[in-house]
Amino acid sequence: MKFKNSFISLGILLFSFIAATILGATVSSKGYSETYPAVVCPPTLPGLSSAISLSSKKTRYQRLSNRSSQTVPFNVLRYPVIKDSLVITSQGVTPVDWQSRSGSWAGAVLCTGPEQTQWFVGGRSDVTSRGRLIVVNSGLSNAIVDVQAFSEKGKQPLKSLNVKSKSYAVVSLDTLATGDRDLVVHVVPRSGRINAFMVDEQGAGLKALGGDVVNSFANARKVLVIPAVPNQRGKGKTKSVSSHTLRIMTTSESGASFTAEVLSSDGRFIPVGFSSRALAAGKVIELSLAPKISTSSFALRITSDQPVVAAVSSTVTTNSHRDFVWSTPVEPLEPMKIAITGLSPLVVVAGDAIAVKVEVTLINGKTVHATIKGSDIATWRAPASARSLTILQTSKDTFASALVISINGYGYFPITPGSSLTRVEIPHSNIRVLNP
Amino acid sequence: MAAQAALDSYRVTAIIVTHDGALWLPETVAALASQTRPIDQLIAVDTASKDASKQLLKSARIQIINAERNCGFGEAISLAVDSMKPSSEEKSEWIWLIHDDCAPASTALEYLLESIQERPQVAMVGPKLLGWHDRTHLLEAGISIAGNGARWTGLEPLEYDQGQHDGIHEVLSVSTAGALIRRDIFEEIGGFDLNLGLFRDDVDFGWRARVAGHSVLAVTNAVAFHAQASATERRIVDVAGAFLHRPLLLDRRNAAYVLLANSSWWMLPWLSLQLLSSAMLRSIGYLLAKLPGYASDELIAVASLIIRPNLIFKARRARKAKRFVSSRIIAAFIPPRWSQLRLGVTAMVEKVKVFLLPSSDGASGSIVDSNEDDDLLVPTKNLQWFGVLRKPAVLGFVVLAIFTLVASRNRLGSLIGGALPASPSGTHDLWHTYFESWHQVGMGSTNASPPWIALLAIAATVLLGKAGLLITLLFLVAPLLMMWSILNLFKHFTTNYWISVPASFLYAISPVAIAAINSGRLGTLAVLIIGPQIPLLLRHWKLIELHSWRRIFGLSMLFAVLYSFTLVSFIIAFSAAAIAILIDYLSFRTEPNKPLFLGRLYKRLTVVFLPLLLTAPYSLEAFIYPSRLLAEPGISTAGGDTNLVLLANPGGIGAMPWWLVSPVLLILLVSLFSSSSARTIAQYGIGFLTGAVFFSAFSISAHGNSASSRVWVGSFLVGATIAAATAGVVILDRLREVLIASNINFRHILAALLLLLTALYTIVTLGWSISAGANSPVQSNSPTVMPAFLSVENETKILVLREVGSEGTKAVQYYISRGADIELGEPDVAPRQIPELVAAAQTLIDGTGITSSKVLASYGIKYVFVKTPFDPTVIQTIDGLGGFTRASATSAGVVWRVTGVIGRLVFTSDSGVQEILEAGEVGARTLVPGAGTVTVTEAYDRSWQILENGYRLPRVRSELGLPVFTVTEAGEISLIHDGTIRRAWISLSLIIWVVVVILALPAGRRKREISEKELA
Repeated sequence: MKFKNSFISLGILLFSFIAATILGATVSSKGYSETYPAVVCPPTLPGLSSAISLSSKKTRYQRLSNRSSQTVPFNVLRYPVIKDSLVITSQGVTPVDWQSRSGSWAGAVLCTGPEQTQWFVGGRSDVTSRGRLIVVNSGLSNAIVDVQAFSEKGKQPLKSLNVKSKSYAVVSLDTLATGDRDLVVHVVPRSGRINAFMVDEQGAGLKALGGDVVNSFANARKVLVIPAVPNQRGKGKTKSVSSHTLRIMTTSESGASFTAEVLSSDGRFIPVGFSSRALAAGKVIELSLAPKISTSSFALRITSDQPVVAAVSSTVTTNSHRDFVWSTPVEPLEPMKIAITGLSPLVVVAGDAIAVKVEVTLINGKTVHATIKGSDIATWRAPASARSLTILQTSKDTFASALVISINGYGYFPITPGSSLTRVEIPHSNIRVLNP
Repeated sequence: MAAQAALDSYRVTAIIVTHDGALWLPETVAALASQTRPIDQLIAVDTASKDASKQLLKSARIQIINAERNCGFGEAISLAVDSMKPSSEEKSEWIWLIHDDCAPASTALEYLLESIQERPQVAMVGPKLLGWHDRTHLLEAGISIAGNGARWTGLEPLEYDQGQHDGIHEVLSVSTAGALIRRDIFEEIGGFDLNLGLFRDDVDFGWRARVAGHSVLAVTNAVAFHAQASATERRIVDVAGAFLHRPLLLDRRNAAYVLLANSSWWMLPWLSLQLLSSAMLRSIGYLLAKLPGYASDELIAVASLIIRPNLIFKARRARKAKRFVSSRIIAAFIPPRWSQLRLGVTAMVEKVKVFLLPSSDGASGSIVDSNEDDDLLVPTKNLQWFGVLRKPAVLGFVVLAIFTLVASRNRLGSLIGGALPASPSGTHDLWHTYFESWHQVGMGSTNASPPWIALLAIAATVLLGKAGLLITLLFLVAPLLMMWSILNLFKHFTTNYWISVPASFLYAISPVAIAAINSGRLGTLAVLIIGPQIPLLLRHWKLIELHSWRRIFGLSMLFAVLYSFTLVSFIIAFSAAAIAILIDYLSFRTEPNKPLFLGRLYKRLTVVFLPLLLTAPYSLEAFIYPSRLLAEPGISTAGGDTNLVLLANPGGIGAMPWWLVSPVLLILLVSLFSSSSARTIAQYGIGFLTGAVFFSAFSISAHGNSASSRVWVGSFLVGATIAAATAGVVILDRLREVLIASNINFRHILAALLLLLTALYTIVTLGWSISAGANSPVQSNSPTVMPAFLSVENETKILVLREVGSEGTKAVQYYISRGADIELGEPDVAPRQIPELVAAAQTLIDGTGITSSKVLASYGIKYVFVKTPFDPTVIQTIDGLGGFTRASATSAGVVWRVTGVIGRLVFTSDSGVQEILEAGEVGARTLVPGAGTVTVTEAYDRSWQILENGYRLPRVRSELGLPVFTVTEAGEISLIHDGTIRRAWISLSLIIWVVVVILALPAGRRKREISEKELA
C-alpha cells in the first residue's frame, strides 16, 4: 500500500495524543496545609472581671506575656482571667469572653485570631466616656498599629501605636476624638499579630451609666445585618423600655444613602425616617430608633449604595441598674463551633428563610440537636448546661448573634468564627522567585 | 672577447652528488654539458645509489667517486674536493655544486662567473632556483634562517617568477644546488660541517663564510631548476644521523644546530626558548593536521640536540677559530619576526578567502584574458541600488528585520524574564560559573555546569566580555539567523526563491520560534538556529556509510553544541538512531553484510554518544537526575497542554494564544499523502510531533523548581516545524506545473485553502507579535526582585517568599537568595531542596512554625524577605511567630531578621557557646578560639574540607545536612572546597574535544603525498 507508512505515522500520533491527554489531565502539583490560628482573648482591665467559656478542658493556652512557645491546658470549662490576655489554641472552637463590672454592666466578646482590619462602632470621647481601646500584640515582634477615629465632626488625626511583642496597649477613648460623642474606630495593624478590643463604659460623675464590650467587624459593607437587638418591653419587674440608637457612618468619600429595615416577629418594616437617608462622608451620625414591636429582640438590615459601618446601642435595665448593649453587624452564618459554657445565650437568627441545624454539647458530654426555623427572625435559647454550640447546617444569607442576660447586665456577641480554618497552599521551592 | 677571457680566468670543477637520482640525472647531466661557459672538470660522487644513477654517470663518461650510502652531502663534496688535484695554472679555482635533481640553465655558469668578476670578496654565489615541473615557480633566490629555525627565502608560497626579485643580491647563503664556491675559501673554512649530513649545510656554510669576512651572492640571471627530491620526500634520506630516514626531523635538527652553533653566546637562551616553543607549536599544528609523525619529528629534533650538548660546544669552538668578524653582521640577513608573521597571516587569509569566496567562473578574469574591444562595445550597466530589494531573499530579510525590530521594541536592553535570568556583568562571571566546583545558589550545589555557559562565554569574549549585550543581540537577530539557516536547507529542495524565502520567513515566525524568543528559551533558540543544518549535513542518515568519519566527528561536535543547550536533542538523536539501527538490523537479516552493518552501527553510535562525552559531566549527570533530559536552560517554566502542542504551539508563558493556529499540522497531514518526497519528510515531521505530544503529558521538577511543571516541548516542535516547512517547499515547488496541467480538482482547492490559511496565519501573527506579543515575559530593564539594601552584606542568605504566576494560577513559592537576583546558568546548577528547610518554610507560612527561625538560623539564613504583593495574613503570621524581627517594610516587601547566631562559618565551643567566624565567598582562612565544632552553613558535600596545622579535620554530616568539623585546639584553619574532580572532568572533556576537533579537521598531507605538480 502506497500510504502505509503515512497511516502508521498518523495512527501513532493519534495514540500519543489520546494517551497524553489522559496522562496530562491527572497532573496536579498543589498541596495545602490547613490550620486554625490561635485566638486571643482580651485582658481584664482593673476593676473588671472576666471569664472565658471553653468547649474542652484540654484546650491549651498561654499567657500573653509568656515568651516561650509552651502551652498548658485549661483543665476547666470556664476560666477566670485575672489580668493578662490569653492566647488559646482552640482549634476551630471560638471561645467567648464574658466581662463585667460588678453591679454595673456586663458584655461578651469573641476571642479571635489576628485581624487585618477591625471596625469598632461604639464608645464615646466626651466627658461621660470611661471607655478604652485595647490593642493586643500576640506576636513575637514589635508591632505598629494605626488607629483612625471618626466622630460626628468627621475624620480625626491618625494615631499610630507601637506595641511591643507579647504585650498590649490601652488607649482611652476620650483621647481619640476628645469631646466628641459619636465614635467609630478603625484599627489597622501595619505589622504584627494584632487583635483590638473596645470596652465602652460610661458614667456621669460617680454615677455609672453602664457599659459593654464592643464587638468588632472586619469590613464596611453595602448590606449590614445586625441580628439581635435586645428590646425590653416594659413588662415584668423592671418595667423598663429599651431605647435604641443607630450609629452609622459611610466609609465612602462621596457620602451614601441608606435604608434600615427592622425584622421582627411582628413583621418586616422600615421605620419612619430610615428610608434613603443621606450620610455625609466620614461623619458619624446617631439616629434614634424606636420600633413599636412586641418581641424581646429584633434584627436590623441596613442597605446602602456605599459601604457603611453601623451598630445599634440599646439601653437595658438589669437588677435596677442601667446598662447598654452594642449590637454589631455579623457575617453570614456558616458551620462553626462556639464555646458557651455558663452563658446560656439566646440565639437570634435573622434571614429570609431560616433553617439552621445546631448541635449542643452539654457539660456532661451529651449532645442535643435542634433545628431553628422561621422567616425574618427566629430565636432559640441554648440549655444552661451547654458547653458548646455547633452550627451544623445553615440556610443561605442567614445571620446569627447571641444575647446573654446576667445579674450584672446584658451581653451581646456575634455567632461567627473567631478563628477561621486557614488553608495555605504548601509553598514550593522555586528559583523563579528570584527572577522578575 | 675580453669578457670571455675574464671567464676563462676561472677554473670550474662541477661536483655532482647522486643518491638514487636516476629520475632527474639525465636532464641534470645534459644541462651541465650544454653550458655556454663549459665546465672545466666534472666529478660525480655516488652514494651507493640503488637505481640506475651510476650507470647513467658511467654512460656519460663522468668520473665517479664511490661513497657509502649514508655519506652526507658535505662529506661527498669533501671526497670530491680531496680528489681534485691542485691547479697548476694561475687560475682562480671554483667548485660548482650540483645536486642530481638540479638542472642549471645553459647560461647559469656564465652568469655566475660574470657576477664574481669584479667582486673578489665573494666566496659563494648561487643561481635563482625555479621549480622542476613548473618552471615559473620561484623556489629560492638566496636563503637565510629564521630565529625559530625555519628556512627563510623571503618568498610567498608558490610565488610566480616575474623577475620581481631579479638582480645580484648579498645574501646570507645560497642553496648548495648550483652554488659556486671558491675552492680556497671552501678549504680554508673547513668545507661543510660533517654534522650536517643533509639540509641546512648551505646556510651554515654561508654563515661561516660571512663571519670569515667573505661575501655570498645570489645571482638571478643564473637560473637552475631544482626538484628538491630529498626535502619533498621523493627519495629516502639515508645520511648518517637521519633517524628513521625522516627528512623533516633531520631538517629541524640541523636548523637548530646551525642556530645554536653559529649565534652569539648571549643569544643562546632566547634561541633555545624560541626553538623549543616553535617546535611545540608546530607539533600542535601537525597534530591538528593529523600528522603525528611530523609532530614527533619537531620535538625529537630539538630533544636530540638537547641530549647531546657537546656537539654544539664542539661546533662553536671550531667556528670561533675561523671567525674573522663579529656574528652581528649576520643580523642584517636574519628575517625580522614581523615579516614571518606577515607572511603567515597573508597565507592564512588567502586560504580562508579561497575557502569562503571561491571565484566563480568569469567573475574576475585575468587582465590578460580581457578583451579591451569588448569593453568599448558593450554598453555600461547602470545598477540601481534599490534593485537589490527586488531580490526575494534580500526583501525577505529586510521585512523580517523590520518586523523583528518593531516586535522587539521592549527587548532593546539587558534582557530578563520568563525562563531567562539576568545576564552577568561580564564574561568572567560566566567562566566562573562554568569552572567553579561549588555554586553559591540556594544552599549551594556541586552540580556540573552545562557547557552552554562556556559557549556563551566564548561568544561574549568577541563582544569584549559583554554577556548582556550578547544575549540581547542573540534574541534580536535570532529570527534572521533562523531564516538564514533554513534558507540554506531549502536551497537543496528548490531553486525558486519566491517559494523558499517565504517558507523561511514563516519558519522564523512559527509558533515555536515566537514562543522561544518571548519566553527566553535559549535551548530552543539554539535548536531553531542549528536544527536546519542537521538534515543538511546528515543527508544520508539511512545510508550513513556514505558520510566520511571526518563528517561524523564534525556532526558529533554540532550535536554536542545542541546537547549543551538541551538534552532533548539527545532523546531525539537516540530515538532516531534506535529506529535506524533496527531497520539496519532487519535489512542485515535479509541480506547479511556484516561490515556494512557494523560500519553503520559505529557511525550512528558515534553521532549519538560521542556528544555525551563531549558535554560530560553535565550530560552524564542527567542520567542520575533524568528530569534534566527534558529541561531547558534557565528557569523551569511550564509548557502548554497537549491540545496546543498538537497544533505545533509549545504553549506556556509568552506563547501565542490558542486561536492563532499555525498551518504546521495541516501541511504535515497534506504532505503525508503526497506522492513526492514531501511524504517522507512529513513522516519525520509527524514523528517529531508525536514526540512533542507524548512528552507534553509529562511534568518534571528541575532547575531549582521543586514543583512539577509541564515539559516544554519546543525542541521537538522545531523538528516538526522544519519538516512541515520543507515538505511545503517540496510540494509547492512542483505544484504550480501540476495545477496548470490539470483541470480544477481537489488539489486546487486544497492548495488554495492551505495558502489562504498560511497567509491568514502570517498576517495575524505579525499583528499579534507587534501588539500583545511585544509585551512578552522577556523584557529589558525589568526591576530586580531583591532590593538593593539586601545585597550590601556579602554572601548573606535570605529566604525569599513570593507569589508567582499569573492571575488565577498564583502560588506562593520560596527560594534562598544570596543577596541578589539569579543570573544566567544558576538555575541550571540549582540544588535539590533540603527537607528540613522545606518544612521550615512551609510552617513559616502556615503559622505553625514555632521552630522555623531556629532552623533557618541553623542554615545561615539571616533574613526573610516577603516580596509584595503578598497575602497580608501570611505577613501577620510571620510577625506573630517567634524569632523574626521586622527589619523593614517598603514598597518592595517586608524584611525580617532571623534571630540567632547566623553566619557562614559558625564555631560552637565544647561548652555550647556559638561564635561566628570570618568566612569568604567559598573558602576561608580564619582563627578558631579553641576546641569545639565548626559548622559550614552550606549543603553537605564531601569536597568541603577544613585544614588545621596541615591536617584535615574530621567531618560529619549534621542532622540538618550541613558539614560539621571537629576542632581539637585553637589555631588557624583553612576552609576549602576541593574542586579536583571538577577540574579533572573539565580536563578530560577538553582532551576529548581536542581529539574530536583533530579528527574532524581536514587531514594534512605528507610531502611525499603531494603531487609534483602542486610542488612545482
